[in-house]
Amino acid sequence: MLQAIDLSKRYEDGILALDALNLEIKEGEVFCLLGANGAGKTTTINLFLDFIEPSGGQAMINGIDATKDPLEAKKHVSFVSENVMLYGNFTARQNLDFFAKLGGKRNLSKEDYYMHMREVGLQEEAFEKKLKTFSKGMRQKVGLTIAIIKDAPNILLDEPTTGLDPKAASELLQILFQQKKLGKSILMCTHDIFRAKAIADRVGIMKEGRLVMVRTREELLEDDLEKIYMAYMQEMIITGQ
Amino acid sequence: MIWHIAKKDFLLNIISARFMVGCALCLLIIPFTILTNIEDYKNQVRLYEIDRTTAETRLKETKVYSGLRPVIVRPPNPLTIFCNGINGNVGNKVKINFGDIPALTEGKASLRDNPFLNSFFSIDFINILSILISLLALIFSYDLFTREREEGTMKLSLSKGISRTQFLLGKISGVLLTLLPILILCYLLSILIIVLSKGISIGGENWINLLLIFGFSIIFMLLFVLMGAFISSRTKHSSTSIVVNLLCWIWFIFLVPNLATFISESYVRVQLYDNVEYAVKELNQEYNNIFHNEIGPEIDKELNMTNRSWWNMNGGYDGYMETSGTAKEVMEYERRLKAQGEPLRIDYADKKWAIVKDHMDGFSRQNRLQNILLCLSPSGLFEMVSAALCRSNEKAFLDFMEDVREYRETLIRHFELNMWFESYRYITAQPVDQFVSYEEQRAIAQSGNIPDCWSNNNNPVLDLEGVPMFDYKTEGVLSSLNQVLIKMILLLVVCILLSFLILWSFNQYDVR
Ligand SMILES: Nc1ncnc2c1ncn2[C@@H]1O[C@H](COP(=O)(O)OP(=O)(O)OP(=O)(O)O)[C@@H](O)[C@H]1O
Ligand SMILES: [Mg+2]
Repeated sequence: MLQAIDLSKRYEDGILALDALNLEIKEGEVFCLLGANGAGKTTTINLFLDFIEPSGGQAMINGIDATKDPLEAKKHVSFVSENVMLYGNFTARQNLDFFAKLGGKRNLSKEDYYMHMREVGLQEEAFEKKLKTFSKGMRQKVGLTIAIIKDAPNILLDEPTTGLDPKAASELLQILFQQKKLGKSILMCTHDIFRAKAIADRVGIMKEGRLVMVRTREELLEDDLEKIYMAYMQEMIITGQ
Repeated sequence: MIWHIAKKDFLLNIISARFMVGCALCLLIIPFTILTNIEDYKNQVRLYEIDRTTAETRLKETKVYSGLRPVIVRPPNPLTIFCNGINGNVGNKVKINFGDIPALTEGKASLRDNPFLNSFFSIDFINILSILISLLALIFSYDLFTREREEGTMKLSLSKGISRTQFLLGKISGVLLTLLPILILCYLLSILIIVLSKGISIGGENWINLLLIFGFSIIFMLLFVLMGAFISSRTKHSSTSIVVNLLCWIWFIFLVPNLATFISESYVRVQLYDNVEYAVKELNQEYNNIFHNEIGPEIDKELNMTNRSWWNMNGGYDGYMETSGTAKEVMEYERRLKAQGEPLRIDYADKKWAIVKDHMDGFSRQNRLQNILLCLSPSGLFEMVSAALCRSNEKAFLDFMEDVREYRETLIRHFELNMWFESYRYITAQPVDQFVSYEEQRAIAQSGNIPDCWSNNNNPVLDLEGVPMFDYKTEGVLSSLNQVLIKMILLLVVCILLSFLILWSFNQYDVR
């Protein structure tokens, strides 16, 4: 379970990137965070991972405060970042092996790694190839495998589908869907309204550090998410003028 | 976890191009350096053997005490293959004279310029190693954090629930794990070449010194790794980091040592050697004046000399005189001249030494300042420590000179105790009972029947038994360790401080 309680972040230069965010993502729930560039999505994730310190409020992972006990909190979360390069001179399997062991999974065999890579739809012949020869989509799949192998109850994803072709993107969603069914709480930041609508149990729109709208899947069946999103963006453009 | 990260970095490093280039560089440069230095050392050994045998034969052939002036030859030290120190600036031979107290060895060194400065350009193992290892250390550590940040792997790693301290320690251990084999390779390679080349034995205690140097080079390497890591933890991009690192490297390896020499030479002024030379010349003149115009005429008057000629005489300005067949009146005259003149010569040697020593003290002050300033450069420290452990620093040399001077005193005391200055043997090897008077000399000369003992060549050589000989002392490990311990600790403390600094710095590092 992921929880943000009055979570705020003001950067050193005075920008209020996150303004008292309140959010709760339950087991087996997928929450998609939409928002324009600079809305505060990455900031939210960075706060959960203790990469930055909050100016106020708490980010809780399975009830553990990510700021107070970051090491314990991070045991319960997997992270897929946007466009991770990984270690180019290691093969896909070596990369998996390194990060799996770092995450405390020590006794996985070669076959286990292969199985997981098959699961995300990576071609067999890529398993033992150096990562620097991989395309962006292939790298992203390895990144996702790393997250899956950790088998943590929460998954944070920062724009995982950017740069992926439609097939790769829907494969990725497929995997996320399986993870959801395994009972994981998933927070996905994205610009991809289409995918968000496809997978999310709830969608939030963020604007200037505030969560300005949350809709459940059922509500979205009636509303047109695209229109709502555009409306919020429009408003921003108008206020911008 | 730390080990896991270290292993990963080690594996990534050894397949990297920089590792290959580093190894290749070491494999090329180290053997070349060592071979050159071995050749140098062998030449020194050859020269030493020649000098020593010459000195020994000369000494054995001595017939009069005034000719008993041993030549001390400093044996070459196999450790100079590793670190030549100031040895390139000084010679290895000293002749014991009573008229001068030796300040330096003969040959290369002069007192015109400080021979103990400027010793940092010799191409020896330690110099090359310090350049290679520091460069490699920086090349492997400059992107320690920046690269992981740029590739996004730092975020991913830290999201796995390992602490930043663990991550940092793992990264640094990874670099050390990579560099240590290269360092060991350098040492093994050079030792192998030395062991395989004929006629060189490192010998007993020297291995301990080498081991200490090896230990110190690990600390030296660690320091540069930490420096690279620190710079990496203060920069966001690898490109910035490498520029800063290279600037630091040039500063510490090249600029600081040269600045240290420059500053110590210009800040501590040593009087012109011309002044010293002039003062010494004055004293020599004064002595000659007393000797020729006071002591000589006085004895002349006392003995009422009418004629003063030698039959057979060799002599020199340094008090050496060897005569035979000379009339006993003249023998007596010469004996008394030496009996008074030689102690005076020794007194004047002390006076001259006071002036030269003052000049040398200036050098020592320059040196002290240089050594202090060199502590600001890790390579300067490394060089100093190695030279001390290889006994090729100025202290080892000055200690040797001190021993030589002490030996000279011992020899003089031996002369005094045995009343050799007052003896006929000081000037002649002709037995006293075969001395002849003027009249007898003239008669024999006219008869043409010249006795054998009237020729210097036919007289017996001195019995050297009981004459003190120079005892060449080498410093024990403990004594050299004593010299370097503070410097070792200093470098270690810097490393520890730097580690804390990195820890603090990396805890603030923006991983995004
Ligand atoms: N290190 C930083 N220092 C100062 N301000 C920052 C910093 N990082 C982000 N910001 C500011 O915080 C705000 C939110 O940034 P954030 O990266 O969270 O946006 P985002 O929603 O992820 O945008 P994008 O869609 O472009 O990824 C922006 O106004 C940004 O300029
Ligand atoms: Mg972002």
